[in-house]
Amino acid sequence: MPDVAIECRDLAKSFGKSSSALQGISFTVARASVCALLGHNGAGKTTTINILSTLLRPTAGSATVAGFDVERQSAEVRSSIGVTGQNAALDEFLTGRENLMLFGQLRGLRHRHARRRADELIERFDMGHAADRRVSTYSGGMRRRIDIAVALVVPPRVLFLDEPTTGLDPRSRRDVWDLVSALRHQDVTVLLTTQYLEEADVLSDSIIVLNSGRVVASGTADDLKCRVGVSYCQITPADPMNLPEIATALADFAGLGVGCDTLIDHTAAAVSVPAPDGVVTFGEVFRRLDGLGIELADISLRKPSLDEAFLSLTSPPVTV
Amino acid sequence: MSALAALTLRTLSGTLRDADLLFAVLAPVGCFLGFTLALGNLIDTGQMTYPQYVLPVVIVQAMLFGAMTTADRAARDRLSGFGVRLRTLPIPAVVPLAARMLYCLIRAVIALVAGIAVASVFGFRMAGGVGYGVLFVVIVLAFAIAVCLGADALGSRIGSVESSSQLLLLPQLVLVLLSTGMAPAELFPGWLGPFVRYQPVSQVTETLRALAGGHVTVASLAATMAWCIALLALFGGLALHMQRRTR
Repeated sequence: MPDVAIECRDLAKSFGKSSSALQGISFTVARASVCALLGHNGAGKTTTINILSTLLRPTAGSATVAGFDVERQSAEVRSSIGVTGQNAALDEFLTGRENLMLFGQLRGLRHRHARRRADELIERFDMGHAADRRVSTYSGGMRRRIDIAVALVVPPRVLFLDEPTTGLDPRSRRDVWDLVSALRHQDVTVLLTTQYLEEADVLSDSIIVLNSGRVVASGTADDLKCRVGVSYCQITPADPMNLPEIATALADFAGLGVGCDTLIDHTAAAVSVPAPDGVVTFGEVFRRLDGLGIELADISLRKPSLDEAFLSLTSPPVTV
Repeated sequence: MSALAALTLRTLSGTLRDADLLFAVLAPVGCFLGFTLALGNLIDTGQMTYPQYVLPVVIVQAMLFGAMTTADRAARDRLSGFGVRLRTLPIPAVVPLAARMLYCLIRAVIALVAGIAVASVFGFRMAGGVGYGVLFVVIVLAFAIAVCLGADALGSRIGSVESSSQLLLLPQLVLVLLSTGMAPAELFPGWLGPFVRYQPVSQVTETLRALAGGHVTVASLAATMAWCIALLALFGGLALHMQRRTR
């Protein structure tokens, strides 16, 4: 297998004439690495996964998975991949063990071999207590776990995980993270999608940020954090009427070319500005607002939200 | 091949739990008893006893019930994450369809045996000998596969588990009730006559009745064969078309 496990070149997909889900995205994923596609609902994450797993045909552009072209060599691609979707793709009538065996046989294992492989995975995923219960009785976390196990029955070279932790409680989410991290050592390349910056940060070697069907940024988590800014200073005035005045006073913190309005978060009734120098910025903000005599309900330093990451990543670079 | 076997076994083992095979037995038995006990003395079928007359349509109806199950399964396979995952596996796209058809055949055989068994108690006889008996079974199974392919295409297209089998309920009722399967054409109002006489359920049941009775006309056999082959070709094409993997 080549050193590049996944390569997309100008991949585009439109559904009908008006809606275009992907507007030409290009990226590569190195072999045996974990890559996260980060973005909101509708950013094009699932469409990308569906094209790479041969469920959709691209409207334009091309892509290879494990060295095979997704359109011309789709059968070879399917032999090389494992897929888990947003909803657990299991037969509800069967037990966890039966699902594992079924998918083993569908991937060409003989009955005896499939049984042995199911036993191994049940042990490795710590599911012995539930393996012989019907899947319809499983909790969300259990379901996701057996779903990932099913995708690994015949070890794939590339594994697609579409929102593997959406809808899970924090503990189950942590379990899934551990499972994914362990794959790194088994020569499996993982492409996962997520809406959570934290998840992308914890799990992946590289991150691709999608917005409205375009790649708006890519790189390691550290690269992106540097570009996003270390933290934000959030100011909540006692009276929301003061929000515009605060935004105007702090406009220069946001950088040139960013309108004051974009600093205001109306739902939180707060103003947020980048605080690249941490407490120094915090002190300066506090002094200025104190000077204006505005009464504050709260002022704090916090990590950037995904929204701010997008805002920061999608706004044009400032040249002075 | 092992993928086909594994998927068919999956459907069978799921069936043991949702009791579809039990329904496959109960439907022809129940319908036969219902028709015979309720209508047996009301409808004049000439020299033929009513059990001998009505069994073919009971069997045809059981095949139509099987089609409704198939529509339901196809819709489920289209919609569910399970079905989506099947399309990402290194197996030919036609395998899930083939597995559903294999199940459809198994179900058809069970319903056929159950129907003949109960009717035999009430005096139904296969009077035509082995050759006619084999032809009887072949026609029933060909018809079953044809309607199951149609239902499969519909279920795959609609992709809604509730509405696809509901949609088939009405055509199923119309085709069975307005056929010569339950009563001779003379008993229907004149304006319905042509429809009742020439629609496929009438044609097929008449041929089956003739085969069971031991004297079939070439014309009747040809009409039924034509219907079966035409429906197989049309619905088979549609069902295959619906299995295209990528959109």
